[in-house]
Amino acid sequence: MLNIIPSLASTTAALDAESTRLEVISQNIANANTTRGPDGRPYQRQEVVFENALQQAKAANGAAPGLVAPQVASIQKDPRPGRSVYQPGHPDADANGMVQFPNVDIYEEMADMIVASRTYEANLAVLKNGRSMALQDLSIGKH
Amino acid sequence: MIEALFNQPSYLGAKRMLDALAVRHEALAANVANAETPHYKRIDLAPSFRAELQSALASRDAASLSTLQPRVSVDASALPLNRDGNTVNLEHELVELGQNTLQHTVETQMVSAALAKLRLAITGKAA
Repeated sequence: MLNIIPSLASTTAALDAESTRLEVISQNIANANTTRGPDGRPYQRQEVVFENALQQAKAANGAAPGLVAPQVASIQKDPRPGRSVYQPGHPDADANGMVQFPNVDIYEEMADMIVASRTYEANLAVLKNGRSMALQDLSIGKH
Repeated sequence: MIEALFNQPSYLGAKRMLDALAVRHEALAANVANAETPHYKRIDLAPSFRAELQSALASRDAASLSTLQPRVSVDASALPLNRDGNTVNLEHELVELGQNTLQHTVETQMVSAALAKLRLAITGKAA
């Protein structure tokens, strides 16, 4: 394919990865109070793990490093325990009246969300710059 | 004959600079893309290439200018900001990216100006 805009591959991969991360964060926030999932247990917070499509191992051997695109390696469950709240009237309360809530911390999710959306914006800025460079290239020799 | 028109050091220099700026844009874009990737080390134009380009531009040597190939390498001077070992600083990358784009504008206008001068010499008309 004709590659006019430089760096399109890594930037689109990053936009993709960041939007997956935003989706997972929104899922965590949406389920912050879900006490019963399909397995009958409270919702467990999920987290996106990033990795490089190509590791920079080559660079360590002295060869030129490749331009690497990030990708989502996996979406992992956070094993931390959730909070228990005393709500004897709740349908999911145990014998002592304690209800297990998900291990989602809204403040943590909001902070992660800001990082993810800022990173997304930064990649859009890169794309914009690349586009203007391509347009300038096309205008070489014109008046 | 016509090759001589395109082998002026300033024209060749602008061309090499454009190549280098395009490669640098790709490197900076990869850095921004991997801003959240653990253990990623930022890359940039290789210092050895920068030195070669500068000396070739300074000596106005057409032969060495036309053979220069831009290279990237891992930036050894960048230090990780946090414990995941990633050496990308988002603000720094975006500032560099903006400068790179601006420099690209300058170089494309240099190339256009060189071509316009040639056209003026051939046709005698400025437009």
